[in-house]
Parts: sequence; structure tokens; C-alpha cells
Amino acid sequence: MTPAGQMLGLDGITSGYGEAIVVRGVTLDVAPGEIVTLLGKNGMGKSTLLKTIMGFLPARNGRVSLAGDDVTGVSPHRLARRSIAYTPQEQAIFQDLTVRENLVLGLPDKSWFDDEFARVCEVFPVLGERQRQRAGTLSGGEQKMLLVARALMARPRLMLVDEITEGLQPSVIHRLAGALADERDRTGVAMLLVEQNIQFALEVSDRWAVLKLGEINETGASDEPDAAARIADQLAV
Amino acid sequence: MTDDATVLPAAKADTTAGRSRNDLHYLARCILVAVGVLAIAPFVLDFYAMNILVRALLLGVLALTVDMLWGYTGILTFGQSAFFGIGAYACALMFTHFGFGHGFAVLALVLGILAAVAVGLLVGWLAFYHGASPLYASIVTLALPIVLTQVVYSGGTFTGSSSGLSGFPTYYWSLTTWLWTAGGLLIVVTSLAWLFVRSDMGRILVAIRENETRCAYLGIPVSRIKILLMAAMGGLGAVAGFGYASFSNVVAPELTGFLLGTELLIWVALGGRGTVVGPVFGAILIDVSSSYLSGSMPFVWKLFIGVAFVLVIVSLPQGLTPVVTRFWRRVSGRKPQAAPPPRLTAAPPRHAVDDGRTPLSVREVHRNFGSLQVLQGIDFQVGRGELVSLVGPNGAGKTTLIRCLADGLERTGGDIVVHGNDLARRAPARCVALGIGRKFQKANVFATLTVAECLQVARYSLDPMSPWTRASELRLPASALRIVEETGLKDSLSVEARHLSHGLKQALELAMVLSLEPSIVLLDEPTAGLTRTERERIGAILTSLVREEGLSILLVEHDLDFVRQISSRVIVLHQGRLVLDGSVEEVVDSELVREIYAGTHYRGEEAEAS
Repeated sequence: MTPAGQMLGLDGITSGYGEAIVVRGVTLDVAPGEIVTLLGKNGMGKSTLLKTIMGFLPARNGRVSLAGDDVTGVSPHRLARRSIAYTPQEQAIFQDLTVRENLVLGLPDKSWFDDEFARVCEVFPVLGERQRQRAGTLSGGEQKMLLVARALMARPRLMLVDEITEGLQPSVIHRLAGALADERDRTGVAMLLVEQNIQFALEVSDRWAVLKLGEINETGASDEPDAAARIADQLAV
Repeated sequence: MTDDATVLPAAKADTTAGRSRNDLHYLARCILVAVGVLAIAPFVLDFYAMNILVRALLLGVLALTVDMLWGYTGILTFGQSAFFGIGAYACALMFTHFGFGHGFAVLALVLGILAAVAVGLLVGWLAFYHGASPLYASIVTLALPIVLTQVVYSGGTFTGSSSGLSGFPTYYWSLTTWLWTAGGLLIVVTSLAWLFVRSDMGRILVAIRENETRCAYLGIPVSRIKILLMAAMGGLGAVAGFGYASFSNVVAPELTGFLLGTELLIWVALGGRGTVVGPVFGAILIDVSSSYLSGSMPFVWKLFIGVAFVLVIVSLPQGLTPVVTRFWRRVSGRKPQAAPPPRLTAAPPRHAVDDGRTPLSVREVHRNFGSLQVLQGIDFQVGRGELVSLVGPNGAGKTTLIRCLADGLERTGGDIVVHGNDLARRAPARCVALGIGRKFQKANVFATLTVAECLQVARYSLDPMSPWTRASELRLPASALRIVEETGLKDSLSVEARHLSHGLKQALELAMVLSLEPSIVLLDEPTAGLTRTERERIGAILTSLVREEGLSILLVEHDLDFVRQISSRVIVLHQGRLVLDGSVEEVVDSELVREIYAGTHYRGEEAEAS
């Protein structure tokens, strides 16, 4: 794939903590408007890879590029300004601000708020009902919704989302899958999702990749008929 | 010590052969060096230097108490100078007003310690008893020296007010004797502290610093431990103050003041907090060098100290000790030796009490947040050997209900009865004593402790913790052992919990909760972030616990397939009310659950996964 046709390019990324190497030479592209899910058992390096892309961890080796520009080693806040939205697994909301304030903070341009808010409220009506409530008083699942909503509202070019479905009720997960696909169709955002829910992963993504001991072990297109079985095999061992 | 009952003879041999002996050798060598330095010092140092050094050694003891409170337990205290002052004034008042002699000296020392311990208990109670915020606790410790200084000021001729007391009769020992006395005290106290912080009991202090909430829910009486520590460190501070007054023959209100209390923090931070020896050397070096600097540069020296402090804190936030240690390792070629993890052994099997009474019965439980009614009269029971799943939409009040069951102070109204005992207004640590174990929604472990240490901390209420040694074996109930073995935690026993993946943190917390040997287990999304296979493994362990050991489990879960596989009953919470309570088939396939929770999309994933 030519650099022009890729939103995110990973070329031989290696990273880890201290002496432990967690991600080993991962090479992966995400095209504009493409949704790719990363699956894998725990401790295989999925979250570490996202943290490395976002600049929270230095890459020991390899290159990260964004729309053709080398962004290896660029700090997280600069990447955020280049419209990457990152949703970590550990919840990262401002507990003492209201739901609405949390959402406004994520916006590059405050005038977008009304339109964007109306849109995310279709997916997560509860955020509309609770917009004046302190975010810290939301339940665990509702906080997750808030995180996702904040990322969606910023109209990013690239979304990195860690375990978006964790702790959400099934009906919300289903609505969310639809919302992500709509968002992609509307704005052409590219997404790299870390996921445990195979059904959701296949429903929402174009391609998938399974990480094993820090390396990409298997990849495929989501519409292949045996995709679910192949992933399940990979995760079962 | 206390571990005779738990450690087998073979294990004991292991301890002496393993790190414990290395540690003791290391300590013995350090003591020898320190004693050597003390022995030589009188022949090398001049009169002025000796004077300064004796004072500095006593302040070193005081800095050590700050390190125990702040460095290890995380209590930022400005008040240690107050205890120092209490000891100093006990000496000065006794010798000035009541008489001098061995009897009077012992009496003054005992009274000083008692007064300091009493004040420590009072201040500790004010600061920690109600579970107030750390900031509040710090402000209480800040107020203490200010109040005490005012008391001294208003004491008229009795306390000498602002000019203090001086010229009272005291022990006019030679400087060498004083040096050896103060140095001996410091060596003894530092060695004991060094042993203590490396012991099983000492690790509890670090656990409290890392995660007080988790400690409370493991049945550790956090407030009591902090209050006792405050009192003990107060008493030790008074001993140092007593020595200081009887040596220098002068006391002034500044000795109790918060300026000294704050300087102590600086010394500790510079030396390296949480290292025992770092703060001691920090105190000695800074006190000695400022004494010299204040002679030659009366006004500028404080500026120097201030600038040095800022530079060190900015460039070396851990203080000087890690730098010195690293340098020493490079010079001596020694590598840091990680302690081998303890051996895992099985605790004797215990069956959940079968007293014929319902393990958990919940009646009319309400929880309001202001005008918001999150729980509106919840009624249900969990029997022995039942695994009840709690499902419901996000925001239905599931976590709030779990919280009410694990903390008697949480609910607004209603009754919770555990094995016939009223939960009443018990704080979390006392709920654990009733047999309740709670796993949090977000993995909640001790970040800087290793996996093995996290599990050892969880055994606080069951296995005696020695204040001097480390147990070489870790006794866990079969269920926790299974989780440790099957999830791969076994291979990470020496890994700090913060380096674990999200899923392993979840597994670790579950193992910690099961290590409490609870009879009722509350699990808030225990398998979030796990793959289906990992989830099924945990599910199998939970169902066997229920079946074979008669535990009662209440579990919040979103994956209806998982719920279907493991539950004996399901209850549904919706908008703060319990809307369904029945068998798995009745509930999971009901129209109501589909409507409010799963959505029409949900169709069971068995077909999909096969």
C-alpha cells in the first residue's frame, strides 16, 4: 500500500516496559475509512501497542506514520492535535466535571457541540439525560460510553480504542457497532480497535489481526466465512 | 516469632538459606561499619564538629520516624517536631522544676513517651478515624506543632515561654559518651526499622500507601494501623527529643514548631523517602552542613539549602539514595538480587459455614444520592452454594448494590443480614470479618507490590504476620491456587502488579479476594477484558467453588451466555428496582430482559462460537 493510501502505518514496532519486550516487530496498516480490530489473549501486547502508537511508550524499534508522516516518538498531546482520538482501557474521564464539560473538553471547536452531541445521544441516550451530572457519579458502563462519545465527537481522522465494549450491556454494544460504521461512512475516520468480543469485532471491522506474544500471528478479512472460527482457535490455545 | 505455627521446619531452613540470611549478613556488615565510624569519630573530629554531630544523630532518629510515616505508609506529616518537642520539654521541665537524678530522668523519659503516645493517639484518631482524606490528615498534623508552640508560649515561667528553658542541671557527660549514646540509639532504631519494613507486617504499610481502599476490603484495619503507627512514631520522636534536650541543655519553642516539621520532610525527600537509611543520612548531612554554613555565611546559607533542595527534587525525585546505590553497585559489581518468591502451598481446606442460616439476606435496601434514588427497596436472598448473577442495563444500580453489601455505611435504608448477623453500620474491614469478599469493577490491586506480595497482603486476617521476618511460603486456599496456576499468574509471582496486563490484574484481584476464604463473594464484572477461553476457565473455578465448598456468589455480568453457563439463579435490576428473580431460563430468555437489556439483537452466541 502506498503511504498516500494509509492513515496509520506501523512498520516493525517493538516496545515494552523495562526489560520486558511486549510488542515485537508489529507491521500493520490502516487505510482511511478502514476499521481494523486487534484481538488476542491477555498480556499479548494489544494495549501496549496502542500506547506505543499514541506516544505514551517509546518505540524501541520501528516506525509509526500518520497519513504518510513519520510520527514516531511524537508526544501524545501533539498526536491528539493531529486528530488522533485515543480511548484507553483504564478510564480516563474528569471525575469532577459534568458529563457535558467532559465532552466539551474533547472538542477542537466548541461550536460543534450541539450537532455532535445530538448525534452521540442517539447512540447513548443516557448521556443526554445526565449531561449536567458529575461524571464521577456515572456507573462504570456509563463512564465507558462517555469516553467513546468524547472520542467520536472530536471528528478524528484516526481512532484508537481499547476494549470499547467492556462493561456495556448487549443492546448498547449493538447500537455502538452501528454508530461506528455510520461514523466511518460519514467522516472517513480510520479505526484501530482492541477487542475481546469476537462477534462485535467481526460485525464492525473490515479486517482483523490476532496478536500473540507481541507478534501478529494471523490476519484476515472480517467477511470471510471462517473468520470467527479462526479467531476462536487463536484465542483458545 | 509468630510464624512458628505456620512455617514447617523445612520451610524455615529455606528462609535462613535464602534471602533472609543474606539480608542479615548485609545488616550486620552495615552495623559494624557504623559502629566503626562512631568509634573513630571522637579521635578525628574537633569539639565543634562533635557537638553538631550528636545533635544531628538525634535528628536522624526523628527523620526516621518521618520516613516510616510518609515514605512507607504515605502519611504526609508536618507534625513530628511536636513529638520531638514533647520529649525535649519533658526533660527540661522535670530537671528545671522537680529535680535531677537517675530517677527523675527515667520518670521524665517515661512521662515524655507516654505524653507523646497519648498525643499521637489523639492526633491519629482525629486524622484517620473517620477515613478522612489524606489532605485533611496532613492539615491535622500541620496544626499540631502550631498548637503545641502556642501552649509553650502561654506557659509563662513554667515553660519559659518564647525564650525557652536553659541551664537546668543535666548529665554533663563527655562528648564522646554523648556521641556513642546518640549513635547507639540511632543504630539500634535504624536496624529495627530496616528489619521491620522488610517484614510481612512492614509490607502492610506499603500496601496501605498504595491502595487504602483495597486494604480495607481485605479486612485490614487501616485506620487502627495508622493510629498505632502515629503513636509509636510519636513515642520514638519523644525519645530523640529527650536526648536532644538533655544533651544541649536548652529547649526553645522552635523545637516543637512546624518549621522543623517541614524541614524534616525536606531531609527525608533529599535522602530518599521509603529507604530508611536515606532519610537518616539526609538529616545528618543537611544538619551538619547547615551548621557550618550558618557560621561562615549567616544569611545566605538557607538560600543554598533551598536551591540544593529544589535541584535535587527536580532532577532526582527519588532522592539521593537510589543514585548512591546505583553507583555502589557499579563500583562493587554487585547486582540487585530480587528476592525469590515464596513457595505456594495449600491452606487447609475450609468449608463455608453451614449453620442452616441464609448466608445473605437483603431486605428493603435503599440508596439515595441526594434526591437521586439509585436503589429503591431491594429484596432478595442468596443461599448456601448458590451462584446468583445480577444483570441489568448500565446505570441500573448494580455496582451500588454490591457496594451496599460490602460496606455497612453505604446504604440509606434497609437491612442486610449475613449468616444471621446484622451488617448494621460496619465499615468494609469489619464486613470482611463476617465473610464477605468483594472484587471491584476496575481491577484494584497494589501497583508496586509483586503478585506474591499482593496475595500475602490478602492473607492478613488469616495468617499471622511477623514484624521481623518474611514468610518463605505463601498459603492459599485451593480456589486461589487454581486461579494463580491456571491463568499463568504463577509465572509472574515476582512481577510488580502494575506491569500485569489488564486481564491478569483482574485474575490477581479475584485470587486475592478468594484468599480471604470468604463465604460470600461479591464479584463486579470479574471477567471484563478476558477472552472467552479465559472467561470459561474462571467460570469453571467459580462453579466448582459453589458446588464443592458451598460458597455463595453474587456476580455482576453483562455476557448473557456466561450468565447462562454458570448461574444457579439470575436477578435483574432496572432503574434501581429488582424486576425479576428466577431461574436462568426464566430470566435470560424473558421478554423483559430482551427489551430493557439485551436488545432484539441478542440471540445467544453458542451458535456463533461453534
